[in-house]
Amino acid sequence: MTHRHGKLTWGLIVVVGFLTVCPVIMLVFGSFSTGLTATGDFTLSKYIGAYTDPALLEVMGNTFVFVLGSATLATVLALFLAYLNNRTDMPFRFLFKIIPVVPMMIPHILFSVSWVLLLNPSNGIFNLILKQLFSLDKAPLSIYSMPGMILVEGLLDLPIAYLIIAPAMASFDVALEESSRVCGAGNSRTLRRITLPVLRPAILAAFVLCVIRCLASFAVPSVIGMPGRIYVLATHLYQMISTGFQADYGMASAVGMSVLAASIGLIYLYRYFTSAGERFVTISGRGYKPTVIRLKRAKVPLFIILGLLSLVLIVLPVAALFYISLVPYSMVPGARAFAAMSFKHWTAVLKDPISLLSLKNSLFLGVFGASLGVTLSVFVAYVIVKVKTKSAGLLETLSFLSFSFPGIVIGVGFMWFFVRTPLYATIWALLIGYIATYMPYGIRPITSAFIQIHSHLEESSLVSGASYLTTLRRIVLPLLVPGITSGWVLMATMFFRELTLSVVLSRPGTEVLAVQILRFSEDGLWGRLSALGIIMIGVSTLLVVTVNLIGNRFKPAES
Amino acid sequence: MEIVIKGLRKHYVSDGKVIKALDDVDLRIPENEIFTLLGPSGCGKTTLLRCIVGLETPDAGEITIGGETVWSTEKGIYVPTEKRGLGMVFQTYAIWPHMTVFDNVGYPLQNRKVPKDEIRRRVAKTLDFVQLSGFESRPATKLSGGQQQRVALARALVAEPKVILFDEPLSNLDAKLREETRKDLKTFLGELKITAVYVTHDRVEALALSDSIAVMRSGRIVEIGGPKKIYFDAEDRFVADFIGRANLVPAVVKEQREDATVVESSLGLLACRKADFPLGEKVTLCLRPEFIDPARGGEEGDNVIRGRVASLVFIGDAYEGEIRAGDENLMAQLGPETELAEGEEVSFRVSPRHLLLVPA
Repeated sequence: MTHRHGKLTWGLIVVVGFLTVCPVIMLVFGSFSTGLTATGDFTLSKYIGAYTDPALLEVMGNTFVFVLGSATLATVLALFLAYLNNRTDMPFRFLFKIIPVVPMMIPHILFSVSWVLLLNPSNGIFNLILKQLFSLDKAPLSIYSMPGMILVEGLLDLPIAYLIIAPAMASFDVALEESSRVCGAGNSRTLRRITLPVLRPAILAAFVLCVIRCLASFAVPSVIGMPGRIYVLATHLYQMISTGFQADYGMASAVGMSVLAASIGLIYLYRYFTSAGERFVTISGRGYKPTVIRLKRAKVPLFIILGLLSLVLIVLPVAALFYISLVPYSMVPGARAFAAMSFKHWTAVLKDPISLLSLKNSLFLGVFGASLGVTLSVFVAYVIVKVKTKSAGLLETLSFLSFSFPGIVIGVGFMWFFVRTPLYATIWALLIGYIATYMPYGIRPITSAFIQIHSHLEESSLVSGASYLTTLRRIVLPLLVPGITSGWVLMATMFFRELTLSVVLSRPGTEVLAVQILRFSEDGLWGRLSALGIIMIGVSTLLVVTVNLIGNRFKPAES
Repeated sequence: MEIVIKGLRKHYVSDGKVIKALDDVDLRIPENEIFTLLGPSGCGKTTLLRCIVGLETPDAGEITIGGETVWSTEKGIYVPTEKRGLGMVFQTYAIWPHMTVFDNVGYPLQNRKVPKDEIRRRVAKTLDFVQLSGFESRPATKLSGGQQQRVALARALVAEPKVILFDEPLSNLDAKLREETRKDLKTFLGELKITAVYVTHDRVEALALSDSIAVMRSGRIVEIGGPKKIYFDAEDRFVADFIGRANLVPAVVKEQREDATVVESSLGLLACRKADFPLGEKVTLCLRPEFIDPARGGEEGDNVIRGRVASLVFIGDAYEGEIRAGDENLMAQLGPETELAEGEEVSFRVSPRHLLLVPA
C-alpha cells in the first residue's frame, strides 16, 4: 500500500510542480533575456530599465498606501461584523451573517464598475443627485481617488477577512472571558485584555491575506485607479504589456519578480499566523454556549450602521448596474428616467458576437475547468491528509504556493511558456493557467472534508472485506460530496469571473467575460457593460444553486 | 481459530526517539476464548490488535490465524486486511454516516458477493441477535451511542467470522451504559463459538469478560493468565498493581515454611502466600485494600497488623480509609456503616492467602 502511495504522491508532485513552478521559472528567465522568448540572450537591461524608471517610486508609494489602507479597512470591518454577529444580541443576526459573504458572489470588476457608476465625477448617479439637490456646479465626490480605491477594495476584501475572523470568534472558548469577568473586569475591559489578544493570530492572518489580495488586485486599480491616473504595481505592469506596439514583457517580468517575492514572503507569514492560531484557540466541544453581550442603548445605532453597510455591499451595486443597463445614458432616477427606459443595451449585448463568445468561453472554463481542477484537488487533498510522508509535505507546500500568486504576474510567466507551445492563444492556455493559480481554492475545502473522515471509517470497510477501490467508491467519495461541492462552486465562480490572469493570456478568439467588461469600461460603454454584468451575475448564481442542489441529494443524513 | 504470533516487532520514530510499540512479542491466543490485551495507554495493545487485522504492518515477525500465515517478514507473506475475513469493532464504532443500519450491517456480505435475499435474511438475523430488530431503515446517525455500538457488533458478526477483534469498544459509553453493554457483550459472546481478542485499559472490563488476560507494558507481554490468577497470584509487581488497587510494601524473606513464606517488613513479621524466593531476598509485599478489615484494639497472635486510622472518606458503597502502620500508609476499604473514627487505634489479621509476594 505504501508503495502505491509513493507513486501517486510523486505523480502529483510532478503535475502540481509543473503548474506552480513552471510560470515562476519562466518569469525569472524572461526577466533576464532579450527578445520575445524567455531564452534569449542574457541581459540585465530589463531590471535596470524597470528599477531606474522615475515613475516607479510614485507607483510604489501608491501601492503601499492602497494595500495597507484597504487591508486595514477590510480587517476592521470584518472584526466589527464578526463580533456583533457572534457575540451580541443584535437583532436579525441570521441575516447579517450572510451579508459579509455576499460580495463574493459579485465579480470584483462589476463591483468596482458599479461604484464608478454611482460616484464618478462627470455623471455618477450620486453626484448628479447631489448637484441637483444643492444646485452645485461641480461634482462634490470623486471615486477616481485613493480614498475611493481603498473604500472599494476594502469592501471587496471584507468577505475573506470575515471568513477567517468569524469562525475564530465563534469557536472562542467562553470560559476565558468568563474567568476575566469573575476577576472583576467589565465587558469592554475583557474585550481589550482577553478577547482581542486571544484572537490576535486570526486577526493578523486575516490582515496578511488581505494584503496579499490587494497586492494582486487588478479590478479596482484598473477601473478606478487608471482613470484617476493613480497607478499601483499591478496597473504599472499592465501598462507595460498592454500598450500595443511597445509591449515589454521582459520589463514587466522584472517588476513582477518583486511583487511575486513579496507575495510569497507574505504567504509564509500568513501560514505562521494560522498555525499559531490553531495553537491558541482551543474549542472544547461539550456544552458550548457563547455568552451573549447585551448591546442595550447601542443597539439601534449599530443596527442602522449594519443596515447601511448591507445596502452599500449588496443592494446599491446590483441596483446601479440594473438601472444603468436600462436607461440610455446616466441620469437622475425619476419619472424622466423611467420614461426613457428600454432594453436597447440588452439587445445590443445579445447581438454582439464578442460578448456572446466571451460568455461561452467563460462558461466552458467555469464548468469544465472546475471539474478538472476538483478532480486534481481530490487526489492532492487525499495525499496531503492521508499519506504523511516527507514527499506528501512537499506536495502540500507546492499546492499552497500558488495561493500567493498575483494573477497578472503569473500570467506573464505563463505567457513566456505558452508562446513556445501550440497552446498559445487557445482556450487551453487559460484553462491551465486558471487551474494552476486557483488550485488552493479547490484543495482547501476537500482537505477539510478528508480530515473529517475518521480513518476508522475506511479501516472498518477493509475489515469488512472491501477492497481498496470499493472502499474509495462506497465510503470515502460519498462522505466527500459536501467538500467536493464547495470546492467545485468556489473554483467555478473564480474561473467564471477571472480577470487578472485573463487580461494577460486572453487573445482575440479567447475573450472571457471579465475582460470583455473591462473593454466596455475602457470604452465607457456603461449600458452594455451593465447588461452583460447582470447576465454574468445571473448565470453565476444559477450555476451555484444548481450544483448545491445536486450536492444536497448526495449529502449524508444529518445527525 | 487459534492465533499464533511469533517475534512480532514494530518500532516508531517520534521526535527522534525510537518507540518500541511491539518488542518481539510471542503469543498464542487459544481457539474460542475471549482473550484480553490489557495495559496502560501506549503499551502496544492496540498496535498488536491492528497487526492481527492487518491495518498495521509489523517490522518483523509472523502471524498465523487458524493455521494460515497472514504475515511473515521472513517468508514475505502479506494477506491484506480485506482478505483476512475477520470481524472488528472499533473504538469509535466507525458507523458509516451516509448509510442506513441495513447497509452498514449488510456491507461485509455485499463485499462477499452474497445474494440479495440471503443478505436480507442474515442481516435480520444478526440485528435480532443484538436486539435491534426493526432498525433496518434507520439512518445510522439517528442512533444512540449504545445502539451504534450494537450496530458495529452486528456488522462484525454478520459474516460469521471465526475471529472477532474489539478495540476498546466500551470506552465511548457513559458509566452506566458501559456496565450494561459489558454484560450484554458477555452474553452475546458466550452464545457464539468464536475467538475474541479484546483490547482495553479498564481492569474491571478485562476481569469481567475474559477467559484469559495478557497484561502488556512498553511493547512486551508481562504476564498471561485467567482473571483470578492475575488478580490473586500475579507474578509481577506491575501486574499486581495494575489489575487492582494494591498496598505495596518492601520486605525481606526470612523463612520458607512448607505452606507459607515469612517476610519481615515495617508491618512486622508476616506469613505470606508461598513463593519461591531465596532467604534474604528483597521482595515486594502486595496487600489489596479489600482484604483489610480493621477492628478496635483487641486482635492478637500471628499475622496481626496494628495501626491507627489516619483518614476516612465516605464514598457511598464503602469508606476509603488510610491506616498508618509501621512506616506505611495502608489503603483500606471499610464497610459503609463502620463505627471506627479517625485517630482510633486498630488492628487486623490478614490471611497468608491475601499476602502476595512479587519481585521487588
